[in-house]
Formats: sequence, C-alpha cells, structure tokens
Amino acid sequence: MIIDTTEVQDINSFSRLESLKEVYGIIGMFLPILTLVLGITIGVLVIVWLEREISAGIQQRIGPEYAGPLGILQALADGTKLIFKENLFPSRGDTRLFSIGPSIAVISILLSYSVIPFSYHLVLSDLNIGVFLWIAISSIAPIGLLMSGYGSNNKYSFLGGLRAAAQSISYEIPLTLCVLSISLLSNSSSTVDIVEAQSKYGFWGWNLWRQPIGFFVFLISSLAECERLPFDLPEAEEELVAGYQTEYSGIKFGLFYVASYLNLLVSSLFVTVLYLGGWNISIPYIFVPELFEINKVGRVFGTTIGIFITLAKTYLFLFISITTRWTLPRLRIDQLLNLGWKFLLPISLGNLLLTTSFQLLSL
Amino acid sequence: MTSLSFFFVFVPFLSFILLAINLLLSPHLPYQEKNSAFECGFHSFLGQNRTQFSISFFIFALLFLLFDLEILLVYPYVVSAYTNAVYGLIVMLVFFLVLTLGFVFELGKNALKIDSRQMANLQTKTNKKFTFIK
Repeated sequence: MIIDTTEVQDINSFSRLESLKEVYGIIGMFLPILTLVLGITIGVLVIVWLEREISAGIQQRIGPEYAGPLGILQALADGTKLIFKENLFPSRGDTRLFSIGPSIAVISILLSYSVIPFSYHLVLSDLNIGVFLWIAISSIAPIGLLMSGYGSNNKYSFLGGLRAAAQSISYEIPLTLCVLSISLLSNSSSTVDIVEAQSKYGFWGWNLWRQPIGFFVFLISSLAECERLPFDLPEAEEELVAGYQTEYSGIKFGLFYVASYLNLLVSSLFVTVLYLGGWNISIPYIFVPELFEINKVGRVFGTTIGIFITLAKTYLFLFISITTRWTLPRLRIDQLLNLGWKFLLPISLGNLLLTTSFQLLSL
Repeated sequence: MTSLSFFFVFVPFLSFILLAINLLLSPHLPYQEKNSAFECGFHSFLGQNRTQFSISFFIFALLFLLFDLEILLVYPYVVSAYTNAVYGLIVMLVFFLVLTLGFVFELGKNALKIDSRQMANLQTKTNKKFTFIK
C-alpha cells in the first residue's frame, strides 16, 4: 500500500504543474540571496566612494573625480585593476594558509548579513538566535588574520597578524556583553524582535536611551573590531609596513580591502538594529505606524520606507566613523589592549549586571 | 534546503570564483627578487618568520577563551531572565562574582600588561614606586 502511494506521488510530481511549483520554489530560494549580495555590493561601492569624498572634504581637497561622474565608479575601477594584478606567492611561505586567509576574513563577515532586517519581513532568515549567529561567525575572522600573517614569510606580517588577532579578540568581549544587555531588554536574541521592541514610542523607544553606556561601549568596540582608526595598528604604516597585508597583491588584497568595508557596513547596520530602532519611523505621535502600513506584509510602499529609514540611520553612523578616522590619533598596542580589557570590559559587565538588576528588581 | 543554507554555500563559492578569476586573468612572471620577503634596504634573512614572539599574545588569547566561555554561559540566562526572576539573578550574580575575583587576581599579577620600553622609561623618570594598573 505504501509503495503504491509513493509511486503515485512520484509520477504526479513529474507532471507539469508540480515541476513548475518546484522551479518556483528554487527561484524563491535564490532570489533573496542574489538581492542581498547585490545590495551588499552596491553598499560597499557607495561606502568606498563616501569614505574618499568625506576624507577629501575633511582634508580640504577634492576626492576622486575621473572614474565616472563625480568619481562614483572609483571602487569598481579599483576592483577591476586588482583582478588584473599578478598573484604573488611569497617564497618559503605557507601557500595554502596564504591563499585561504583573506577568504576566511571575507566569508565570516559576509555570512553575518543574513540576520539583518532591512524592513519588516526583509530579512534573509529570521533566526531565533540572530545576534548570537553574528557574534559567533564574526569570531572566525581573527583566524583568517593569523593565517595571513603567518603564511607570508615576513616578520612584519607575522607581528601584524598577531596584533590584529589580539585586538579583534580583546574587543569581542565588551561587544558581546553589550549585545547581551540588548537581548535582555528585548527578551529575545532575534534581530526582528529587538527592532519590534523599540517600535512603541517612536523616538523615545530607542534602545539608545535605555542603554547609553552600552551604546558608548558598542560604538568603540565595533570601531576596534573593524580595525579603523583610532584602532588602526594592524595597518600602521610607520611600524609594520602594512601589517598582515604586506605581501598580498591582486584580488587577495582586494578581498582584505572589501572585508574592511563590509565589516564597517555590518557594524553600522547592527548599531541601527540594536540601538537606533531599525526600520521604524521614529517621529512619535505624528506618524502613526498604521498610516504608512509598515507592519503589514506585502505592502511595497511600507517596506521601501523601512529600507530607506534603515539605510539613513546606517549612513549616519558611517559618517561618524569616517570623520572619527580623521579626527583622532592612533593608539599604541598596549594602550589599545588596556582600553579593551581594563576599561571597556568592566564597564560593559557592570552595564549588563545593572540592566538585569533594574529589570528584575523593579517589577 | 532554506535560503540560509544556500547562502552559507554561496558565499564561499563567490570568494573562490573571485580568486579563480584573478588566477586566470593575471600575468605570472615570478622571479627571485619579487617573491622574496619585503624588507627595506637589504635582503631579508632566512627564517625570520619562525622566531620568538612575545608570550603576552598567548596570554591574551587564553583570557579571551575564559571570558568567551563565560559569556556563552550567560546567553541562555539573558533570554530567560523573566522566567527565572530573582533566584536566577542571584545565581548569575554569584557566577559573575567568582569570575570577577579571578579577573581581579590576574589583573593584580599584571597578566594583561605588555612590557614596553616607552612605559619603562616613563616610570624611571617619574620614580614611581608602586604601579598598580598601568
């Protein structure tokens, strides 16, 4: 009996209607991934252009202006140039580690884009443990840095890789403790739940006001995780030539370059999701959410407003981090590690304990 | 298979495609000067990569391991804090107290200190007798 019914089901699935449904299923699986990767690529191109234009403005010079109108295609031109450069392998270096290092750094950052909500129901996968996935996967990046540093047969690369890995892991703990405080406030680790918990009072519902210390620590820790100035030591030109990126050429260097901007973009997106209210319009009492129908599935206007708001908040934080780069001097390695372990770690730990105590003892 | 699992397969595939494009399209003309390690003004010696490095890096990684495991054990508490009410809070506070005592001990032993010549010169100049956390 069972064999008969399964055979009948198999024959039915080869009929045209069933196979069309499967094709639509497969396309429905690929379309979000391709849209996300396309969006990320355009985002990185915009950030590279923005960084060069804003840096130029701060330094009172003109930025790129030859590649495309206003220099928009500069990042694309840089990427194309890097594809055509020679792929050098350092002699007596470890070839496999050398090749895989940049890929691991890029892969670990790209995978954390899958849990960011760009608008209601515009998230690749609404996991219950969304922020945990981000923290866990981004912890793999220091392995890639160590591989790159060791695989180039160069003592500057080796030291640079060790310093970069030490910096990355030292600032992960305050970062994780801040994220834990936010999870506590929203009673869930899912990014969509965290955004929805901030949607009640508009502007005043942001987690920024409930966790000011956490915001401060998260800002500093994410700048340190992205290895941007003032935490730029792995790329310090005066000390380490170019740190772990010294011996790289061609698209592997391009992968490091892209990884840096991808990390910046994902940190900015997480700042908006965790602290600034995500895709909610944040003007209280004037724009009732039902007016723009943000929380109804399938409303195109509402979802585009959500995407627009998320990106506006993200670019605010990007602007802040780019101007910080040209404002503050670089920290020395022991000052950097002291800041991470002896200042940010106790503060974020105290923040978490205060948050739990206030939440539970005031009820 | 869901979108997420395809994404996890697609992203490494994308990065390997980029590496393959570079291998195909780039010239390949290695010679000894180009392949040797970078050094400014002289030829690099053999085997400088595999020399000693400071033990502080290892100690930082070890401490990171401990604190990361501590945070890992806090993740379930954070999503179930309301269910566990004040009893869970007290248990968590005792947990953090024990780990904080360990942290204070290793701070006192200067485990997180990197010896730098700049700081040593500063201390001899200002004649500090007792450096606690510096």
